[in-house]
Amino acid sequence: MNAITTNNAAPSHTAESLSVWLVDRIAVYLKRTPAEIDPSVPLAEYGLDSVAALSLCGDIEEDFDLVLEPTVAWDYPTVEALAGHLLEEFANQAGPAR
Amino acid sequence: MTSDAVMPPADAPDRQEVRAAARVAEIEAVLGDPGDPVNPVGYARLLEADEAGELLAAGEKALDELGLNAEFVPVAEGGRLERIDSLVRILRQVFRRDVALGLGYGVTSFMASVNVWTAGDDRQRERLAGILLGGGRASVAYHELAHGNDFVRNEFEARQQGDGGFLLHGTKQVINNAGRADAWLLFSRTSDAPGSRSHSVLMVERSETDARRLRILPRYETVGVRGCQLSGLDFDQAPVPEQALVGGLGRGVELALRSFQITRSAVPGMALGAADTSLRTVVSFALGRKLYRRSVMDIPHARATLGGAFLDLLTSDSLSLVATRAVHLLPEETSVYASAVKYLVPKLLTETMYELSIVLGARFYVREGEFGIFQKHIRDLPVLSLGHAGSAACQATIIPQLPRLARRSWFQGEPAPDELFQLRTDLPEIPFQRLTLASGRDSVSCALVAAVASLPDGTPTEVALQSLALRLMDELRQLQEQSLELSLEDRTALASPASFALVDRYTVVLAGASVLGVWRQAQALGDDRFLADPAWAAAALHRLVRRLGYQPAPLPAGCEEQVHQELLRRYEERHSFDLYDTPLAG
Repeated sequence: MNAITTNNAAPSHTAESLSVWLVDRIAVYLKRTPAEIDPSVPLAEYGLDSVAALSLCGDIEEDFDLVLEPTVAWDYPTVEALAGHLLEEFANQAGPAR
Repeated sequence: MTSDAVMPPADAPDRQEVRAAARVAEIEAVLGDPGDPVNPVGYARLLEADEAGELLAAGEKALDELGLNAEFVPVAEGGRLERIDSLVRILRQVFRRDVALGLGYGVTSFMASVNVWTAGDDRQRERLAGILLGGGRASVAYHELAHGNDFVRNEFEARQQGDGGFLLHGTKQVINNAGRADAWLLFSRTSDAPGSRSHSVLMVERSETDARRLRILPRYETVGVRGCQLSGLDFDQAPVPEQALVGGLGRGVELALRSFQITRSAVPGMALGAADTSLRTVVSFALGRKLYRRSVMDIPHARATLGGAFLDLLTSDSLSLVATRAVHLLPEETSVYASAVKYLVPKLLTETMYELSIVLGARFYVREGEFGIFQKHIRDLPVLSLGHAGSAACQATIIPQLPRLARRSWFQGEPAPDELFQLRTDLPEIPFQRLTLASGRDSVSCALVAAVASLPDGTPTEVALQSLALRLMDELRQLQEQSLELSLEDRTALASPASFALVDRYTVVLAGASVLGVWRQAQALGDDRFLADPAWAAAALHRLVRRLGYQPAPLPAGCEEQVHQELLRRYEERHSFDLYDTPLAG
């Protein structure tokens, strides 16, 4: 149930593709258009509350088959930072001996 | 304080139970029969104190002498706290007499101290244990009126200085015991950045605070718990040392959300004591009063209302039991259960009180005499839905987790362990560090699904129980479908009312799963004849299924009668109306 499945598509992710995915999601949460989300601005400044940030983490887990700390969107508060962190996580979780 | 504060040896099962039951009996003996008009801590005196807006001094003195504060301090720190379910049982004896005393004497200190037991360093633990075990109080200052449960927007500031210390500045409002606590746990903004890493929790002792830089705000007058000393704190650039910081800098929101899991799990079950007293009061009225040439108890509506209230207490206690034992056994899942208890139990109890007030009639409006305690409890109980997470905030904690539970857990996860549903089995220590903000697992619902497959169907009551359990499982299936369909914007605090309704139904399913689990374990252990019989479980599930809007087939003859006879027996023998059937002083 809880096993981490390695995502075979992982190598195809780039900072850019992840940013696009995140901006699209976050725009829906915030009821804004993707063009309004600046990847370098903290999401909380747009009004993303702590609960929605936990939700976002759940979305990432579902779509990318990653297991993350629920507070990941608190610690990486911008789209840029979050995309960078996800890239690292893909590298870690796809790697051997985890 | 105690010398027997060691873990039980392997050959002595349920030693914790022996200690808890003895403590409950001790508190009952010391506080005495609350209905006795000359009891210094009886209802008559408690009502007078309430009218005067004071906590009953004799009550506080009795609790001092009992060393009640030790219940809030873990055994490892020299106190008596070993289990959250036992803590609930012990405090229930205080709450059944007076909610204000329960909150004002004790629970506020517990709510504050959980932050320190969860994340405090050795020095902070030792200091706080010293304060509480010495009879002092701790106060938990999170609230700012302007921000309600949206505490990530809180403004009270602890600005870090060059030497590592902090300057406290700003106001906390409606804080229990603010004016008389020896230590405050202050939820403070430590960074100007928006978001969930900008707050920290500080433990500030009164003795190390510059009195000229602190003003205690005037008391708030309240509808209920009039004796509670709710006031506020206004700090003006008050310096405190770096060592006041509890947990890491910027970890305040996370610490709060973890600590809340313990307090949300525990407090509603304590307040069940007040509903117990209210039911007891109305049973006494119904047996004594004659109308239409018969006693009120013989009027079918009144009789059904009282039976229903008893079932609500058993149901509430089942959910409370599961949530408090989950803190020990399933800490990763506690976030959901704690919010479910804090949402559903106060709601069930408030509705129960309303139903009971109808039976009591005009007497429910009278502030003195034999039934006066009822109006006090009916005013006091709603405070439970307000303090530290309102009902909607609890629902908002669950909403974003629904899609994950639906996708990853329901109908596919491992069922909860049997011990979760057992009243008296020993538990491991409280794993404060393992509480997590969200887990995506719900093994209580999985236990419901697993149980349905193996329920007996020999007697009519068993058949009824089985079909009601199936109905609940069906409801879980619908919840799963609807949770998977939730749009993104419906998974946040600003979700549509439909998301909140989904949580409401989910908590009813959790309550049903808890009832079923308690019944199955009582049957397996055979230590309680009433709980082991399917009658109460079928009647409780019947109520929950009707609550969901269904019209299940009527219960078999005798089912409700059995519950009614148990209610009468417990009333006459002066035993509690919760799962424990505890002997009471009156």
